[in-house]
Amino acid sequence: MAFSSGYFKTSYAKDLTIVETKPRWVALLLLLAALVVLPFLASTFFLDLANQVLLALIGSVALMILTGYAGQISLGHAGLIAAGAFTTAILFKELQAPFFITFPASAVTGGLLGIIFGLPSLRLKGLYLALSTLSLHFIVTFFGSEYETKRGLASGVVLDPPSIGTLRLEDPRFWYFFLLIVDVLVVLLAINLIRSRTGRAWIAVRVRDIAAESFGINVSYYKVLAFVVSSVLTSLAGCLLAYYRGFVSVEAFSMLMTIEYMAMIIIGGLGSILGAILGTGFVVLLPYAIDALVNIFAIPSRLTTYMFAIKYASFGLVMIIFLILEPSGLAGIWRRLRDYFILWPFKHKPVGK
Amino acid sequence: MSGKKLRIWGMVVIGILLSFRLTLAQEPYVVGISMAITGRGSEIYAPVKDALDVYFKEVNAKGGINGHPVKIIFEDNAAEPSKAASDAKKLITQDKVILLMNASLSSTYAPMIQTAKRYNVPIFFAGAVCPNEVYPPNADDIQFCSSGFASKYDSRFAMSFIKEQAKEPVKLGLVSMNIPISRGEIDFAETLAGPLGFVVVEKEAIPPTTPDFIPFATKIKNAGANWVYSWAPWATQVKTFEALRKLGWKGKYLAFAHIQAEEELERLKDDDFFVFGANGLFADNTSTHQKIRNTAAKEKTIYPYTQLTEGWLAAMVLEEVLKKTSWPGTPEKVKAAMNQLNLDMKELRGGPLVWTPNNHFRTVNYYRAYKWSSNQKKVVHVKEWTPYTVK
Amino acid sequence: MNIVVLASLYCLIGYGYVLIYQVSRVLNLAHGELMSLGGYFLLTIVIMGMTVSPLTSFLLAFILLLALGLVIYFVLMRLMTGESVFTAVLVTISLGILLRGLITLTWTSQSWFPLQYMGIRASSFQFIGGAQIPTFGLVKVASALGVFLILTFGIKYTRWGIKMRAVGENPLLASQRGIAIHKYYALAWGLATSIGGLAGMIQACDSGLDPGMFIIGLKAFPVVLVAGLDSLSGVIPAALLVATAEILAINYISPQASDVAPFAVLVAMLLIRPWGLFGTKEELERV
Repeated sequence: MAFSSGYFKTSYAKDLTIVETKPRWVALLLLLAALVVLPFLASTFFLDLANQVLLALIGSVALMILTGYAGQISLGHAGLIAAGAFTTAILFKELQAPFFITFPASAVTGGLLGIIFGLPSLRLKGLYLALSTLSLHFIVTFFGSEYETKRGLASGVVLDPPSIGTLRLEDPRFWYFFLLIVDVLVVLLAINLIRSRTGRAWIAVRVRDIAAESFGINVSYYKVLAFVVSSVLTSLAGCLLAYYRGFVSVEAFSMLMTIEYMAMIIIGGLGSILGAILGTGFVVLLPYAIDALVNIFAIPSRLTTYMFAIKYASFGLVMIIFLILEPSGLAGIWRRLRDYFILWPFKHKPVGK
Repeated sequence: MSGKKLRIWGMVVIGILLSFRLTLAQEPYVVGISMAITGRGSEIYAPVKDALDVYFKEVNAKGGINGHPVKIIFEDNAAEPSKAASDAKKLITQDKVILLMNASLSSTYAPMIQTAKRYNVPIFFAGAVCPNEVYPPNADDIQFCSSGFASKYDSRFAMSFIKEQAKEPVKLGLVSMNIPISRGEIDFAETLAGPLGFVVVEKEAIPPTTPDFIPFATKIKNAGANWVYSWAPWATQVKTFEALRKLGWKGKYLAFAHIQAEEELERLKDDDFFVFGANGLFADNTSTHQKIRNTAAKEKTIYPYTQLTEGWLAAMVLEEVLKKTSWPGTPEKVKAAMNQLNLDMKELRGGPLVWTPNNHFRTVNYYRAYKWSSNQKKVVHVKEWTPYTVK
Repeated sequence: MNIVVLASLYCLIGYGYVLIYQVSRVLNLAHGELMSLGGYFLLTIVIMGMTVSPLTSFLLAFILLLALGLVIYFVLMRLMTGESVFTAVLVTISLGILLRGLITLTWTSQSWFPLQYMGIRASSFQFIGGAQIPTFGLVKVASALGVFLILTFGIKYTRWGIKMRAVGENPLLASQRGIAIHKYYALAWGLATSIGGLAGMIQACDSGLDPGMFIIGLKAFPVVLVAGLDSLSGVIPAALLVATAEILAINYISPQASDVAPFAVLVAMLLIRPWGLFGTKEELERV
């Protein structure tokens, strides 16, 4: 993507590079270094937050591919996460299946559901599509609940920590590095998909599907493909979530979860992987940030009951304010900030940006 | 510096000073609780906080326990498992609590238990349904529960109560909410009904989002039920009952006495609506009940005093445990104290709450049943404390 | 008969979605919260003893909600004009979260029964053939029909109604014709809020108020889609269809299935007529 500096692309190959300039390489390496050092500095609580962000990131990148790039709205996201989690839980509970079986099995479940619920997208658009995917949520939670009741696991299915080879994933630091690797892979996959033929086809379908079709893009194929890719990733996120929490219960997969994921990509800025990353951080950490902010004040214990309601309400309020002030999302802010510093001390963008 | 910034800095400084003041005072016993103060189920759990609050305000005003005040750190998990998990981590690793408490939906249990296990901190369930791991003979090392409602035991009392009350052959309707825990209990009740000679004519698992209970009630009524037993969150229990009455159903209804029961009996004023539970209602008017009522009035609790019993009981347990925990408190000492608890429930329950190393539930569970009496114009108990030995 | 009562409730809630969508193309996902707010307003009015008769309490709450709807539009949704529909919908979701927090803050999490404070006992109503129909069941049916008639008539024949439709169909042309479009957007929000609130009030009287009430708002969702999001007249048949499916599921399949049944109808409808029973076909292309 062009940005406001003296840097101009002079070849098609350059147009396809992921990291465009040397300073960006430096920045990226610094970021990676920071991410590697982080768990050794952070407390357990912050490490847990970091893990939550990393976990959510898989799902939000998946949703970003589907909604942000391919333009297909889905409200079945929590359902898909639940599908992955329940696949894992059931395989574990019934067959004591190890991680290397449950993980791909979740992917298969996700892929199948992706095909089934991608099919309506061939006939439906926008809101109507969103609501047909909502039924996915209800169907998965329905079966999850039936399973729990029938097996007498009233308060959920408990899972042992997974083992990869001889390594037992239990320590939060292990989890952190494991999730970090998974996330880097997912993000790379997403970026590569998007700058390839597939990604361009998705964007074309999103922008104007009729025009895309006239260019010879097989719209049906790419729509369903987007659903499948997204669902597979989401189910994998569900599988990891199940292991991370150590248990699966149908009550944990509410509509609120779907809404949170929607919020992540919209607040991050639709159509940007960076947006997905920033949005995930924002939505996951916001409640804790509000918490920390409120806790600065020593509030008499009797009043904390009200404080919790206020915290809850302010989550909504902050989101509203944010959406009003910055409808293009965090990625938009990021771009503006970056341009500002690149151009500094000049104020105006060069012509042609 | 602008005025606004000044104000913010001022607040920060005041905040820091205030926290200083706390550390200068006598060091407290720190206990952490993650509960659903907002969100789903908060109607049952939020009053627990209210009761803990006023109870320990009084305890601390009297000089605390063993010369140290008690500091309870409340976290709101809004019934979200991931929030409960990070609450537990924060409470244990940052606040260094010596005891973790939970009052929330059962989906928040496992993540908290997991963390508690990792750091070997005992976890105490107060006001929420007891997890299976606290029952004898193999109670989990770190889990304890004082809540009034207990699956598998509640229905045993309920079924024998119906047997006793019913003069005619019982045609039983069973009502649960479509969540695993409630359905599980009702399925259990069904297995008890047969041997007692009841005919189960209808069993309904009502979805939590139902806007209209009439269709379910119609089904129960048409099935010819003359008794209905329900073990579910209060709203499901009572809305089904009201729907039945609106349809002109004349039968008898037995429900579990959640914390809203007392007010609701008075609201419904129905002679054939029975509630049962482990906690005595304020109709008993014991000295402890009077004390709760007075404290609630004095401290202006957010929730009505009739809803505070469950939290009050938890507070009593907590006070007793901390009394037995010599200063400085550690999770180990707390656990030792909890393993040999024998606490007089001061007439709020039928007998003492006893925890032993292999029973973290209670050795004997007592039940009492109540209803509204139109003759006496008040809530009366219809069955004396009935003990059930828990083995 | 149960079907008709349930359908009426769905209708009352559904109108609100349709009104706002028809006029401003925004799906208001805070509708459930606004609905329960109706119940809480009524409760407060009754507790504070502002009026004596239930009817005036209803009316007062209705007017308050109308005002609230207008305020929400002018303070919040007006800023979202020109933004993507996505963002606008997310704003309504956030509004819902905000309202839920405020409701807990103001009225705590406990259950309330406005009827108790009105001094009325929920009674049954004798009906033909000895079948008993709950009073508030009848109220639901009557108000669903009443609101439908008033809305249909109002939108078809009054000047405001015609202008409102014009704004909905083509805001650009409408504003060029000198119609103050914001006024009509606001009107739609006001009406939708107050009608949704009415549903909330009746529901509160019927079975009490608790923080989980907003979920009922989501339950009416399939109804609106089956109807076609922009079709007021489709709401009634759609509500009947969905309610029938739900009740049949309760009676003949299993009570648990009643949660899924509306969505089954929805999926079937989406496969056959994606634009809904009475929705406009090209509407589908526009979203």
